[in-house]
Amino acid sequence: MSNKARDWADDDDLDETASTELPPPQTIQNKDGTKTTITYRYDEDGKKVKTTRRIRMVTHREVRKVLPKFGLSEKDPKGPQMDTTSVGENIIFRLSPNWKRDAKDESKDANANAMKEKLKDKTVKCRICNGEHFTARCPYKDTMAPVGAEGSADPAAGLADEEVAAAAGGAGAGKKGSYVPPALRGGPGGAAAGERMGGSKYGERDDLATLRVTNVSEMAEEAELRDMFERFGRVTRVFLAKDRDTGMAKGFAFISFADRTDAVKACNKMDGYGFKHLILRVEFAKKAAT
Amino acid sequence: MRPILLSGHERALTQIKFNRDGDLLFSVAKDQHVCAWFSHNGERLGTYKGHQGAIWTVDVNPDSTMIASGSADNTIRLWEVKTGRLLKTWEFPTAVKRVEFNEEGTQLLGVTEKRMGHLGSIVVLNINPDIDGEQSDEKELTIVCDESKATVAGWSYMNKYIIAGHEDGSVSQYDAKTGEQLENLPIHDLNMQLTDLQWSSDRTYFITASKDKTAKLVAARDLEVLKTYPSDTPLNSATMTPKKDFVILGGGQAAMDVTTTAARQGKFEARFYHKIFEDEIGRVRGHFGPLNTVAADPTGKSYASGGEDGYVRVHHFDKGFFDFSYEVERERQRAMQKQ
Repeated sequence: MSNKARDWADDDDLDETASTELPPPQTIQNKDGTKTTITYRYDEDGKKVKTTRRIRMVTHREVRKVLPKFGLSEKDPKGPQMDTTSVGENIIFRLSPNWKRDAKDESKDANANAMKEKLKDKTVKCRICNGEHFTARCPYKDTMAPVGAEGSADPAAGLADEEVAAAAGGAGAGKKGSYVPPALRGGPGGAAAGERMGGSKYGERDDLATLRVTNVSEMAEEAELRDMFERFGRVTRVFLAKDRDTGMAKGFAFISFADRTDAVKACNKMDGYGFKHLILRVEFAKKAAT
Repeated sequence: MRPILLSGHERALTQIKFNRDGDLLFSVAKDQHVCAWFSHNGERLGTYKGHQGAIWTVDVNPDSTMIASGSADNTIRLWEVKTGRLLKTWEFPTAVKRVEFNEEGTQLLGVTEKRMGHLGSIVVLNINPDIDGEQSDEKELTIVCDESKATVAGWSYMNKYIIAGHEDGSVSQYDAKTGEQLENLPIHDLNMQLTDLQWSSDRTYFITASKDKTAKLVAARDLEVLKTYPSDTPLNSATMTPKKDFVILGGGQAAMDVTTTAARQGKFEARFYHKIFEDEIGRVRGHFGPLNTVAADPTGKSYASGGEDGYVRVHHFDKGFFDFSYEVERERQRAMQKQ
């Protein structure tokens, strides 16, 4: 038969009779991923033979996927193991042609923009003389302007503060009929101190003329504070809390005046005063809880 | 993008390699076993046990039947990927810092350390691709590096050249048949050693990473520097991503300085640069030690990084990565479509 050993280069014999013609080979794609090919040929006896092959295509990857584990993983069951494999936190990974600039902007923006917003409708005001310049540039800075520069406006504020302070001091006494703890009984000064147990120096402290100064620089010295506050009147005691180990100031201090009116004056003037890059906060010391 | 963390090693990673199909990942560390992982889910296939010292390097042959590993125990070992069976051990006078199969997997090169009076050298071994066949003891070729020891080496296209990177920052080109040195150029700064050398998919050019804080793209034919990627930290590894024209650099300050600096300053990030435009386009954080090695999946779907912290992190890229392109690239694409 001519068909028996056909070469691909041979011309197809178009004159072939219908009876000797073989049906064309068929390929069917099966649902389970396999392929079925059906081919026809003539065997030695000239009989038509139909061959059906089912072929499953497997990649190297798939073969490897089902390999048994070995080495330290020999006894591991199928699937990733907790001890060697875990999933990390989600990472936001965004590519950008000018990554460097973007990254910088992000870090800056958060702070810079917020700051700008804040400062938008603020004008510069000196804390010493209320002029339109920074406190650090104040011409009165070195002469300690807070002392008398704005004297006219202050006494009123001072009085108000004094009233508040007094009210706080004699809190219990004001309301009749309610229980007043012994420590708070009696007016300013005298009686309360007498009732205190023991005679420690803290017990004798006159809280009414004592200022609590907070936000004090770590570098501050007691002498400096004394100098600052002495301008308002006689200072009896300066206590600057210091860290025992480092010797640095802890950030708060107590200043006791001999005279309460001096203390009020100092409180008003020194609250908000810039000292060693920090803005002092001065208020009357509250009585220690007993 | 959620990375998969592989914690199969107890010590700092030294090298990781994907196989050519991208489904397997091999990692070696300063502990004494090689790990094989499935890259798609991080499952550990197995470990290859036998080395007696820190393992510096690993490579897999093109049809993923064998891997070779080089170690500080002065041996190169050849393993069967499927079972973890040791096929062959070659002994050397000093530690082996780098191994690489050629394109066909018929030869293997190894870089040996300079130590104890022995000069650093590059050796070429013949590999019998038959997994059960006998492997020859003979060294096909030995190139002695008498000037500056080689730290990394690899095969160029058609196995025509062996390219080696040296401790002094230079790159040399050797004839792969005779071992004759054809070229030696100071590619990186003097005495800033090359820490990595990885090939493009067609092996006509390669990327080098160096302690001089730069990575460079160099042509294999004439060692011409094609591109330079500057960074702000000593680099330990560099790779190129297939599919997208990016390079990934890994580094961080020296391992010995790590304890004295905060993680933020350590620069333990994988840096992405555009291969053509040389711009830095992104970073991936995660490691808490310097990155010792980065490798890109040859299918382009993922990349993995191994750090001094002992972790391998496998990152599968998400859509944004593949969509990203420069305006000029998009314009060109539109122009192409119009035609």
